[in-house]
Amino acid sequence: MKKETDPKTAVDRMRYTKNKFSSNMAILAILFNVFYFVNIYRSDVSNYYYNILIGGSIVFNLLYLLAAFLCSEEVKQYNERYCWVLLVLGIIQFIRIFIIPARAHSAYVVIANVERQVMYDKQFFTCIFYLVVSGVCAVLGALKGIKLSRTLKAYEATLGEEKRRD
Amino acid sequence: MANLVLQHIEKIYDGNVKAVHDFNLDVKDGELIVLVGPSGCGKSTTLRMVAGLEDISAGHLILDGRDITQTPAKDRDMAMVFQNYALYGHMTIYENMAFSLTLRGEDPNVIHKKVLAAADILNLTTQLNKKPNQLSGGQRQRVAMGRTIVRTPKVFLFDEPLSNLDAKLRGSTRREILLLHKRLNATMLYVTHDQTEALTLADRIVCMSMGHVQQVGTPLELYDHPANVFVASFIGLPPMNLFDVTVKGDHLEGKGFKVPLDEKQQKTLKSYVNKEIILGVRPENLVEGTDIPVKVTSNENLGMNTLVHGHISDGNKTFDRITCKLRGWCNYKPGDIAKVSINRMHFFDKETTNSIFGEDK
Repeated sequence: MKKETDPKTAVDRMRYTKNKFSSNMAILAILFNVFYFVNIYRSDVSNYYYNILIGGSIVFNLLYLLAAFLCSEEVKQYNERYCWVLLVLGIIQFIRIFIIPARAHSAYVVIANVERQVMYDKQFFTCIFYLVVSGVCAVLGALKGIKLSRTLKAYEATLGEEKRRD
Repeated sequence: MANLVLQHIEKIYDGNVKAVHDFNLDVKDGELIVLVGPSGCGKSTTLRMVAGLEDISAGHLILDGRDITQTPAKDRDMAMVFQNYALYGHMTIYENMAFSLTLRGEDPNVIHKKVLAAADILNLTTQLNKKPNQLSGGQRQRVAMGRTIVRTPKVFLFDEPLSNLDAKLRGSTRREILLLHKRLNATMLYVTHDQTEALTLADRIVCMSMGHVQQVGTPLELYDHPANVFVASFIGLPPMNLFDVTVKGDHLEGKGFKVPLDEKQQKTLKSYVNKEIILGVRPENLVEGTDIPVKVTSNENLGMNTLVHGHISDGNKTFDRITCKLRGWCNYKPGDIAKVSINRMHFFDKETTNSIFGEDK
């Protein structure tokens, strides 16, 4: 596709087109969160995860998926408020690195008189990779969404009431 | 801007079923041609052949001097509006209108300008963010037209675009198409079975029956000078009254009535003296008078006019059916005898059904 040249037309076009970039970024954030979620409990280290953390983690993941999906739909419509929600969801992904993966990586359990690491390096870095990619997607989508929403809002303020986006 | 020529176009389906016979037409640049005829007469098939949706069995299709008979539909630079709109339900109106240009990979800013311009022409600017199911039938059809306008094709093709609309909406959308044609000055081919659409929209009408072109001409030519009985009975509402009559020198003799002929008419029918011909009389060419007694079966007041239906009657027997469109408000009751005279006649050869002479009197 050819490059846009007229910035005013590009902004005016936003009145009728969706913010697909931010929406797609939110979907990608969901996808990589799923990869992380599937990967995190792959373990042969007995009952390390069998505590309240596992229940909380599952519930959080469900809520995360729901919230991120809602954001993907709303940022599509240049809703700035949901861009901020998406930004928070992105930041949370970075924080999550320190909740389960980092703790599991540094924890050891004794199985058959042998001390074993709960999460080996390979699994640890895979989990980090998924969380970082998910977080980066969410943050990028949110920042772009905030920028576009504000641009559109400013542009619409210059138009007559009847010409605004319905 | 385009000149479209259809040369000896034929459509033959499997089993040697001929749907279109030797169709010839020269569509001039900026002309609106309406193909009209009853269901199954081959008008839509002809349009689909022009669009490239049907193969042309024989003949040539020439656009601006280039033979496009074998050119695929996508390369013909024509845009078609369908009866059922064919809009994408999950897309907004803006996206529907922009879709074909997006597929072509055009600059989004250029697409935007084209869509807004088309929406402005069609009064759709405030609807661009809506989905098709939020619009009325007329608006949806306007979107379908908008989708063709943004492509700026050489030829616009319309396949019964108003058939899905109610009578009121049909009238307003028809006027919009007419305005659109005037504004774009584009070459258009329009298919309909509705003669009102044909008469009001067309620069020229092609009247078809059973795959054959019956007559090509301006709406007035088809109305005033029908080439044969089919065109005479198809164009005009209510349809033309047709009677078998015998030419008796200075008058015509039909079942239950006699009509005098003037000198010019006698000259026209000179070679038909004592032979049977078909007399055609439009209901609006009958006035209250003395020549034909009509036994009334029903009386429909339309305000400005009254439609009187009945049978020609000699007092004892009733003969051919007749419909008269009389001026003013009449109050005939079933069984009444109304006397009418003819102020304009059309003559047709009984064997060939061709017009003997368009109009007399």
